Amino acid sequence: MRIEKHPILDFARGKKVKFTFDGREITGHEGETITAALVAAGVLTLSKSIKLERPRGFFCGIGRCSSCYMVVNGVSNVRACVTPLEKGMDVNTQVGRGEIASC
Amino acid sequence: MLETDVLIIGGGPAGMCAAIEAAKLGVKTTVVEDKDRLGGQLVKQTHQFFGSEKHHAGVRGIDIGVKLAGECSDLKVNALTNTTCTGIFDDGSVGCLRGEEFFLIHPKRIVIATGAYENMLPFPDCDLPGVYGAGGLQTLMNVDGVLPGKTYLMVGAGNIGLIVSYQLMQAGAEVVAIVEALDRVGGYEVHAAKVKRMGVPIFLRHTVTHVSGDGKVERATISKIDGSFKPVPGSEFTVSVDAVCLAVGLSPLIELIAQAGCETRYIPECAGHVAVHDSNMRTSLEHIFVAGDASGIEEASAAMVEGRIAGLHAALDVTHGKADSNELLREFDSQLDELRTGPFGQKARQGKSKLWGLKLPPDEEFEEAPPIIPESGKKPVIECPQNIPCNPCAVSCPTESITIGDNITNFPVLDQGTCNGCGNCVAACPGLAVFLVNRDYSDREAEITIPWELTPPPEKGDKGYALDRTGVAICPATVTKIRRVKKIDKKRLLVAFTVPLDKADEARHFVIVEPKGAEKIETLPPADDIIICRCEDVTQKEILDCFNSGYKSFDEIKRYLRTGMGPCQGKTCQRLILGILARELKTHVSELAPQTVRTPMKPTELEIYASSKEIEPWDFENWQPPGGGH
Ligand SMILES: Cc1cc2nc3c(=O)[nH]c(=O)nc-3n(C[C@H](O)[C@H](O)[C@H](O)COP(=O)(O)OP(=O)(O)OC[C@H]3O[C@@H](n4cnc5c(N)ncnc54)[C@H](O)[C@@H]3O)c2cc1C
Ligand code: SF4
Ligand code: SF4
Ligand code: FES
Repeated sequence: MRIEKHPILDFARGKKVKFTFDGREITGHEGETITAALVAAGVLTLSKSIKLERPRGFFCGIGRCSSCYMVVNGVSNVRACVTPLEKGMDVNTQVGRGEIASC
Repeated sequence: MLETDVLIIGGGPAGMCAAIEAAKLGVKTTVVEDKDRLGGQLVKQTHQFFGSEKHHAGVRGIDIGVKLAGECSDLKVNALTNTTCTGIFDDGSVGCLRGEEFFLIHPKRIVIATGAYENMLPFPDCDLPGVYGAGGLQTLMNVDGVLPGKTYLMVGAGNIGLIVSYQLMQAGAEVVAIVEALDRVGGYEVHAAKVKRMGVPIFLRHTVTHVSGDGKVERATISKIDGSFKPVPGSEFTVSVDAVCLAVGLSPLIELIAQAGCETRYIPECAGHVAVHDSNMRTSLEHIFVAGDASGIEEASAAMVEGRIAGLHAALDVTHGKADSNELLREFDSQLDELRTGPFGQKARQGKSKLWGLKLPPDEEFEEAPPIIPESGKKPVIECPQNIPCNPCAVSCPTESITIGDNITNFPVLDQGTCNGCGNCVAACPGLAVFLVNRDYSDREAEITIPWELTPPPEKGDKGYALDRTGVAICPATVTKIRRVKKIDKKRLLVAFTVPLDKADEARHFVIVEPKGAEKIETLPPADDIIICRCEDVTQKEILDCFNSGYKSFDEIKRYLRTGMGPCQGKTCQRLILGILARELKTHVSELAPQTVRTPMKPTELEIYASSKEIEPWDFENWQPPGGGH
């Protein structure tokens, strides 16, 4: 959900760009975090935990807790909460430890 | 290899202020910051700060961040953003990672200002998407302008919980309740009053016991807790929410400090393990200083002054004391003393006294502020009942009718005789605690002017309801005027509305539609175990089994279960596991050894280290000390 009207802030959003999430095309704003673009599109599960495959969303939002690790352009363990969105990015839910999921 | 005189790790308020003071002395100063911009926590703080003008009181956090970053750039501080410091080595060099690039910096002095991380609260299904850290949510909402849902339960009524609750409402979300384990609100009363009058109930001695939902949080169960923090059976109720936001405290981020070999100590008043440091902010290692939340959790105002002290001492070391900074240092010390006075500064005062081996200052009791209730005319009503370090109401008043005095934690005092009813104080108060009440509006009506920072604002002529201090609709109200005091705050509106005369002392908020309370729904049973280490999926049961089979320390459990070995390196689980160990061993966390920290601080593929490249050194050759050096 995007905040359209805010009493204090004016959000300077980057230009609209398309990217893919698990193969599905989504539109986000260039330069916002991958997490922001996904959450705005209603995607809350970013990874599946390593042993029990429990769904995980973001938690700390500042790159410290590892809850949001995703596979981005084939690279695993990318911190979605601090990585800026780029046009055409291929973003995938990370399942388990990075290496296994990078296929 | 990059050479610099003073290296600052972390570009939050503490780090930026350290850089500013060091650079002012004319030494080469470099800041490394993990994020893409300087600012630290300030980048998401849309509220006006408390304190005095020296600490940018009344200015919004985001604007303070931009101002300090500007000063850094004017002083030609070399700011390396998107760069993470991964380790401090024995030869004094500092390893940094920028993208795939690993490089070393050789500083003469180091200031560690890495800030804090958010505490996790363990409960069944606490790792479901929809359980968020307050800071994380604040970043998403205030930096990117995105919300992960419409309805929220806030856990924790400290300043962060209260401020983020208010900001959620500013962003258009609904906060169904705030729960707090203690029997009192930990944050400032003015922050609590602000959300209460908007209809958010604060349940004291309550906590969240579990959440449930299909792949994400859909409901949260709240329970009363007894004196030993155990849920009271039969008291639980469940509310339907999209998210649960945890504001249960911050812990100093000390990995680098511990890894570098600085002595650390557990000081509960500093909120965890901190580097042992003196009042110059020097750690047990001569070349390393610490400042800000990393040296003990306080506020940005204190972090900035600590940063200045650390930066100045680091620079003085480099110039071998060739600068007379004594007066400046005395000024910084007195600013810190000022910020740490009063009941809210107590923790910091006691924590630092412990570190410096001073006698513990006595506990300070809250005083009761005398109520100021004007009888006639259009006058401010100041509802600021605690000794908080704050004075914008006094500073903004053109007629000097409000005075606070030298001690910034004094209560504001109003001289009704000289006040002209201009409303500047309503526009300036960061606590939104000043209202104008005009009892002479008409024979039967009083006019109330309230500070307004919500969307959408009402319009002149709108009819609705006035709410009292607990958020209950008490009478009809009509909006008479909307204005701004631009020279004080460009965004805040002053909304005036009329109420029956006898409601003048109760009406404190205006709504068009009457608010509805949280609806209680059916409670589902909790999951039977709790994830403690989310990186490695280790549960509370596994940790207890491990403990019962003889592994009694954090490092032993870590070797066996890999807790703390995942990518977050124990930031989430260390505190929780030490807590479980302390409980089982019937001891206190201060008696337990924290985990042993080794480089690298951020798990990195070894190849990156192997490929350690030279980076383009910053152009120190053509670098001019500002003001021609001092
Ligand atoms: C919701 C909320 C509301 C608050 N409201 C107020 C208020 O009203 N008034 C007030 O005075 N204070 C307030 N505070 C507190 C204030 O924000 C903090 O006390 C202050 O930001 C601490 O400053 P700091 O510089 O120590 O840390 P931070 O601001 O956290 O900055 C630390 C920086 O270091 C960087 N970093 C960490 N590790 C590394 C590394 N290894 N390499 C490179 N960079 C690194 C981080 O990315 C970060 O930018 C609030 C805090 C929160 C969360
Ligand atoms: S209403 Fe104006 S004159 Fe009166 S106390 Fe407030 S700022 Fe001062
Ligand atoms: S009334 Fe004055 S002292 Fe109290 S919060 Fe407002 S500005 Fe600060
Ligand atoms: S949400 Fe914590 S690392 Fe991204």
